[in-house]
Amino acid sequence: MQLPVALGMTLVWMLLFNGFQWREESLGLAVLGFGVSVLVTVVFPLPPIGPGLRLRPLNTLRLLAFVAVDMVMASFQVTRHVFAPGPPVRSSVIAVRLRTDSDLMLVFTSIALSAIPGSMVVEVEQPNRMLYVHALGAVDEEGAERARGGALKLEERIVRAIGTGRDIADLEAATAAGREDA
Amino acid sequence: MSEPLVAVLDWIAVLCLLAGASLSLVAGVGLVRFPDLLSRMHTAAKPQVLGLLLVLVGIGLRIAPQETGVFNTGTLILVGLFQVLTVPVAGHIAARVAYRTGRIRDDLLVTDELAERIAERRGGGPPAGAGDRRV
Repeated sequence: MQLPVALGMTLVWMLLFNGFQWREESLGLAVLGFGVSVLVTVVFPLPPIGPGLRLRPLNTLRLLAFVAVDMVMASFQVTRHVFAPGPPVRSSVIAVRLRTDSDLMLVFTSIALSAIPGSMVVEVEQPNRMLYVHALGAVDEEGAERARGGALKLEERIVRAIGTGRDIADLEAATAAGREDA
Repeated sequence: MSEPLVAVLDWIAVLCLLAGASLSLVAGVGLVRFPDLLSRMHTAAKPQVLGLLLVLVGIGLRIAPQETGVFNTGTLILVGLFQVLTVPVAGHIAARVAYRTGRIRDDLLVTDELAERIAERRGGGPPAGAGDRRV
């Protein structure tokens, strides 16, 4: 049984049944929710998720703020493309090689990438940790490089917010190696 | 809660609802105006999600002062959370299938590193043309 998963499910249960507003039955609701969660994780077990994650509250808040601001910017950018007169907007599909090996980091980066400016994950190549990203409005080499830089920056923020120690070490080693290449 | 505070919250809620509704409208217009599926996924994944989140915030501010018994803030948080988590996945799957079945327009892509990669893996040769993208 995975305790964090069961606790997460209990949290969802409490949100669904308005359990955080203090009432007579709140405690019973929590106990019942935890019981159901444990039962579900025992009856339908899932494989453990890789090396897991480690929450760093300050960096997580920074990440959330960054994604929120970027989401608003992205919406304005897409709005501009939608109403721009003339021929349809052109774009590029670019390859981004992530620097960490963890599945979880890959998933979070893909989800966040899809939510922020002009990027949408088309294809994932897991063994090589490559993401193929559709960048809206990237019409030249410079635009493609900007999109690639943005994706890597986002990965770094995510790893620094919720990555394990090993993920951060991977990231820093890869960044250092990349600098020597350049 | 005091009367003026409720009034202020109501106004913020109204603004959030209006902004959210306009963003959803933008997403709808984008679906019509954009030429190909990959571009359309952008409107579905961004202004639409932000619009929905703003509408949820608006509803949350509106119902916070009174008890409705149907919705509560927890439900709204859950709706927002699962939208943000699942919409990109749906968009990704749609984009992937479109790409793999060749339903994309090459003339709208300036560079396409995925096509190059697929061609490379097949054993050299120039990138495959549209309609022949299956790996």
